Amino acid sequence: MSAALTARIAEDFAAAQALAPAPAEGRRRAAFEVLHAAGLPSTRDENWKYANLRALERLRFVPAAAAAPQGLSLPAPLEGFSRYVFVDGRFAPEFSAAAVDSFASLAAGPQALSASPLAGARGTDERFALLNEAFATDGARVHLAAGVPAQRLEVIFVACADGARGTSYPRLEVSLGAHTQLELIERHLSAAGAASTVDSVAVIELARGARLTHYRLQGLSGSTIAFDTLQATLAEDTVYRLHGVSTGAAAARSTQILRLTGARAHLSMALAALGDRQQVQDTFALVEHRAPHTRTEQLFRGIAAGRARVACNGKIVVAPTAAGTDSQQSLRGLLAGTDAEIDVRPQLEIYTDDVRCSHGATAGKLDDNMLFYLLARGLDRDTALRLLKWAFLADAFAKIELPELRRQIEASLAEVLKDAALKELL
Amino acid sequence: MTSTKPNMLQIEDLRVTVEGKEILNGLSLSVGRGEVHAIMGPNGSGKSTLANVLAGRPGYQILSGRVSYEGRDLLALAPEERARAGLFLGFQYPVEIPGVNNVYLLKAALNASRKARGLPEVDAFEFLTLVREKMRLMHMEDSFLSRAVNEGFSGGEKKRNEILQMLVLEPRLAILDETDSGLDIDALKVVAAGVNSQRSPERSCVLVTHYQRLLEYVVPDRVHVLVRGRIARSGDKSLALELERRGYDWVSGAAA
Repeated sequence: MSAALTARIAEDFAAAQALAPAPAEGRRRAAFEVLHAAGLPSTRDENWKYANLRALERLRFVPAAAAAPQGLSLPAPLEGFSRYVFVDGRFAPEFSAAAVDSFASLAAGPQALSASPLAGARGTDERFALLNEAFATDGARVHLAAGVPAQRLEVIFVACADGARGTSYPRLEVSLGAHTQLELIERHLSAAGAASTVDSVAVIELARGARLTHYRLQGLSGSTIAFDTLQATLAEDTVYRLHGVSTGAAAARSTQILRLTGARAHLSMALAALGDRQQVQDTFALVEHRAPHTRTEQLFRGIAAGRARVACNGKIVVAPTAAGTDSQQSLRGLLAGTDAEIDVRPQLEIYTDDVRCSHGATAGKLDDNMLFYLLARGLDRDTALRLLKWAFLADAFAKIELPELRRQIEASLAEVLKDAALKELL
Repeated sequence: MTSTKPNMLQIEDLRVTVEGKEILNGLSLSVGRGEVHAIMGPNGSGKSTLANVLAGRPGYQILSGRVSYEGRDLLALAPEERARAGLFLGFQYPVEIPGVNNVYLLKAALNASRKARGLPEVDAFEFLTLVREKMRLMHMEDSFLSRAVNEGFSGGEKKRNEILQMLVLEPRLAILDETDSGLDIDALKVVAAGVNSQRSPERSCVLVTHYQRLLEYVVPDRVHVLVRGRIARSGDKSLALELERRGYDWVSGAAA
């Protein structure tokens, strides 16, 4: 990272501190110190070469000032889900359900801020999480104490401020006590016309036997620059089902670091990314199997149209302590434009013998035989192509168990694929 | 009146190459309205090439010849236009399309054909009633509708699915490319019943087959033997039986 950039982060940090001495001063400063010493990644870093980091040069790191969102339209609420909305990373109670025991805004209570889930050494891949930690002034804290009944929550982060005025720092901290269950929808949206910079973080900790189904939907405006870091730790006998759909932003980078630290932890992740025009959709997912008999199913489906670049770098590490690991990886990219780019990169590092690991990665165009079959049944070429693109993605959200949410996702994908006819078929 | 109508299919001196190799070598054939024609021939004689060229599959170079379908220049039409004009290809190897439901495909195909005929889109209830009726005829279970197109289907299921699509779309000219291959006798009877149920004075069918067996159940009006890319012999249904008895060498030798 250039010295100029480091200096600017320091300047902006000082300015932010002066502007609003925020809570958790110690934690923020610690994060800043590490960041200041180590710097942000550059495209010379192996895991960042597909990301669009040019925006960093003109990024303003100070947190965007609080503002009332203009032209905000939120998706239809889902039955049974309590909704909490954050605007530019700050809790917006006027759009939210009443607070409950399991939910708090980070700024609201010191108890939520005493812990530092990100403490400890961090590699290059987690620097944007440090950036968030240094600058975020608020966030969502979801905690289910052991014994609490199953819950459903929806957290919506709205990016509103223009990137020139500062960065939006959405932050979501989830800790599930032993054997608790949560269904969580995490959405990232833009207020109408907003061209924001977003650096979001989600930190997930699952205690023994906890089950989390987590839907992450990134539908930011096409002029937004987005960085995202998800860090999850899975204790023994936990089940974490992660569904990610990323369609928005001009340039989106999602870093996902998932650690299976307890025996028999089970992770299933299904990610879909769509890029069009000059969009960049870059996903890096690191899964670490650290305990015996842990299991992962990882699936990625990406489509690049126009001049877009869609990348997925999926790295799976099986530690010597993780005998009996079962890991399946399927990364597939579809080129839907002559100037588009797909980069799928499976990586497997195995340090023990007793494992079952399968992986497959493909990048290619639509199958000519499939296309001809549909044409021979009278479908017009555009419809046939869209149907095949749709079919290609379907694996990634076929397992979504909330029919209403699935319909919303399908409708939004149909919107992105510019397909009214498909919507009718769904 | 009927005599003034053009033939369903008129092929004149068709020459086609695949990757530089001539497969159809001056083929001529005419299929009248309401007729069922069988095209037989040894492996590599050009049967599937003919079926694919008629349906518009890319990858074939047409050197010369004319094909008219109900008086229209068939070769000038895109594959989807041929389908909407009532031409149906039953695939020798039906394609698996994971992620696309059978019911979506059937509905989209039917609506494309109705739209081309100036008809409104099919009502959902009517559509399901129609599909279920045809599925019964093809001995297919309801669960089939929600399965992905041909995905994980057995060979017999795939062929029955082709015929089901044909029954729903009601084409005027069906070209069935080795629909009988790989079928056991029960499945063959089901497929034949499906084909027979479509016979009418307004519809024609071209059965491409290697064996005579299917023709016991779907009795053709005419039988043609294709050898090295052209029709070597034509006759009525007895020709198929004679072929069965004497083998393809009999015609191949004569054509040489």
